[in-house]
Amino acid sequence: MGATQLSTKHLLGIKYITKEDIQLIFETADNFKEVINRPIKKVPSLRDVTIANLFFENSTRTRISFELAEKRLSADVVNFSASSSSVKKGETLLDTVNNILSMKVDMVVMRHPAPGAPSFLAQHIDANIINAGDGTHEHPTQALLDAFSMREQLGDLEGKRIAIFGDILHSRVALSNIFCLKKLGAEVMVCGPPTLIPKHIGELGVEVSYNVKEALKWCDVANVLRIQLERQDIKYIPSIREYTQYFGINKALLDSLNKKIIIMHPGPINRGVELSSDVADSEHSIILQQVENGVAVRMAILFLLADKR
Amino acid sequence: MLLKNVVVIDKNSPHNGKKRDVLIEKGIIQQIASKIKETKGKIVDVKNAHVSIGWLDIGVQSGEPGYEHRETFQTLTAAAAAGGYTGIAVLPNTNPPIQTKTDVLFVKSQSNIVDVYPIGVVSKNNAGKDLAELYDMKNAGCVAFSDGQRSIQSSGLMKRGLEYLKTFNGLLINYPHDHELAKDGQVNEGKVSTSLGMKGIPNLAEESMLKRDLDLLAYTQSKLHVHNVSTEGSVKLIREAKKQGLKVTASVPVFNLIFNQEAVATFNTNYKVLPPLRQPSDIKALLKGLKDGTIDCISTNHTPLEDEVKKLEFLYADFGTIGLETTFALLNTHLSKFYALPTLIEKLTSLPRKVLGLPIPSIKEGMDANLTLFSNQLEWTLEKQDIYSKSKNTPLLGEKFIGRVVGIINKDQHWFLPSV
Repeated sequence: MGATQLSTKHLLGIKYITKEDIQLIFETADNFKEVINRPIKKVPSLRDVTIANLFFENSTRTRISFELAEKRLSADVVNFSASSSSVKKGETLLDTVNNILSMKVDMVVMRHPAPGAPSFLAQHIDANIINAGDGTHEHPTQALLDAFSMREQLGDLEGKRIAIFGDILHSRVALSNIFCLKKLGAEVMVCGPPTLIPKHIGELGVEVSYNVKEALKWCDVANVLRIQLERQDIKYIPSIREYTQYFGINKALLDSLNKKIIIMHPGPINRGVELSSDVADSEHSIILQQVENGVAVRMAILFLLADKR
Repeated sequence: MLLKNVVVIDKNSPHNGKKRDVLIEKGIIQQIASKIKETKGKIVDVKNAHVSIGWLDIGVQSGEPGYEHRETFQTLTAAAAAGGYTGIAVLPNTNPPIQTKTDVLFVKSQSNIVDVYPIGVVSKNNAGKDLAELYDMKNAGCVAFSDGQRSIQSSGLMKRGLEYLKTFNGLLINYPHDHELAKDGQVNEGKVSTSLGMKGIPNLAEESMLKRDLDLLAYTQSKLHVHNVSTEGSVKLIREAKKQGLKVTASVPVFNLIFNQEAVATFNTNYKVLPPLRQPSDIKALLKGLKDGTIDCISTNHTPLEDEVKKLEFLYADFGTIGLETTFALLNTHLSKFYALPTLIEKLTSLPRKVLGLPIPSIKEGMDANLTLFSNQLEWTLEKQDIYSKSKNTPLLGEKFIGRVVGIINKDQHWFLPSV
């Protein structure tokens, strides 16, 4: 029997939690996955808890996933969204959040464009904080649902090989995935054009490859990231066309390998760019299972953190 | 005034290293002896007291004119006095920048017990394009020229600046920081920046500009001070350039000698500084460079900033920390095992004066009393209310230190810790 409580009152990043925390979240999520597949998907666990979803950056799936998780736990939910620029002009983050907390909010789920914004908040306010993505830093719930989905397919991840493809430089998903998978004992490789891979990424204990085919040959799971042109103020790649040609994953490439690889993607997919449609929709792909698991994993996190109030 | 039982630290003084009584009257050192009879004036007798010539910082940031909410000359000189400095050279990154004879005279006129030495801009409007009126500013009293925190990006301007200053043997000060290579960088590029998901400032951003500057210096045979170096590679480059006989000097900020990149791991914006806090290997090289004379002096890198630009998400916070009032305490607390006290004091006194070409005072009878009195044993804790600087942007609040400045004497004026 493992731990029954998390070691922390916030989920600021995978960096700040332990392997035991991750396992506890997985075990709890197993239960909630069973719950959300029942005809009545709702449990009363968080009936007296108020949660604010603060989104300072656009999000569709993460916000909906959190909101569903909160509602299925019977929490009271308030939503706030603002473009970061309008907030920057006026109120500071601290003022905004303190205003909302004055209305007696217990937990805050926050997405923010600045790395470390949730850690900054945690130093100044009392509520439990869940990082729903902070700039190019971490996206811990995504990493947990990714690892949870891999575990469903492969069992224990110790010694398994996971390659992450795409824009590693601007990706909070990549960073949280690396921390999470390393904690679970997996081997990790990152693959993409050198301009999109941080120079010192090797110091985090990952392999680096610039060759998609080689990386695919190496791995059991390919986690393919979206090419985020919206995060690039300067051009790190010559063109989308060239990227697709040399770094995209398509069926012909997969067929040439003679092995089964699990294909994952945190969404939203640029169909025909990093993944061809025949790969995204193939039996290799578990992209929609990831989305389903997202709700169960977020329910587990909210439930466990509520216990630490 | 009589300073009792003080150890004299001044290589040029016959009393160097000895415990003495020092009698000062009308701003002049009247007598130095092992025991002087009590006089009518103030008597200062502090345990473990040392006296050196007054300290000088080679480049502090002022808030005045333009940013008086950060620092005025009144608060800046008070902070300098409390930090042991009887002289400060002031960078021109103000609003308007220090770029005319009138601006220079204004800055100079702010001298009180602390001598204020103006540094003028190299480029008009501090814009990095065309030369400002350097000769006129020199004649008004500028001690050096620099675009300060706005490093000179244009190699053409850098070349013209170095060339033009030869007219009057002037000194150009540049902080090597290539904006393109450091673009969007928040902290040192390395394991910490990677794991925080932040763009890093690579050592390369400093070293590639420094290489350019040294090439231009060799070409122009002018005079350059490399301000605030932070990398192992920079130390090597400067050591080599000095060996070749180039007229180059260098300084290092106190923070970069003591803290490494791990300091920002908790997103504490008061450790968000330029140059960024680097790797332990860089610190090792900087310490060695100080010891062998490659690096001439230690700067406070004093950059006062208000809460509104510091108490923010790391990405949005400005770079900088105040430093005047904690430099000696940091050095004495952390580096006393690397350097003998006289070596450290040299880096705060005669060497920065030599870089700027200022006269070097001495602790001898008949000389002007330009002195700093300090204890290397006194223990204290930095409290917010003790800070004289108008801005309180320092990560060191609550920090315990060994060693404290007790007072300064300059131009027949004195300032002492309230408890003395």
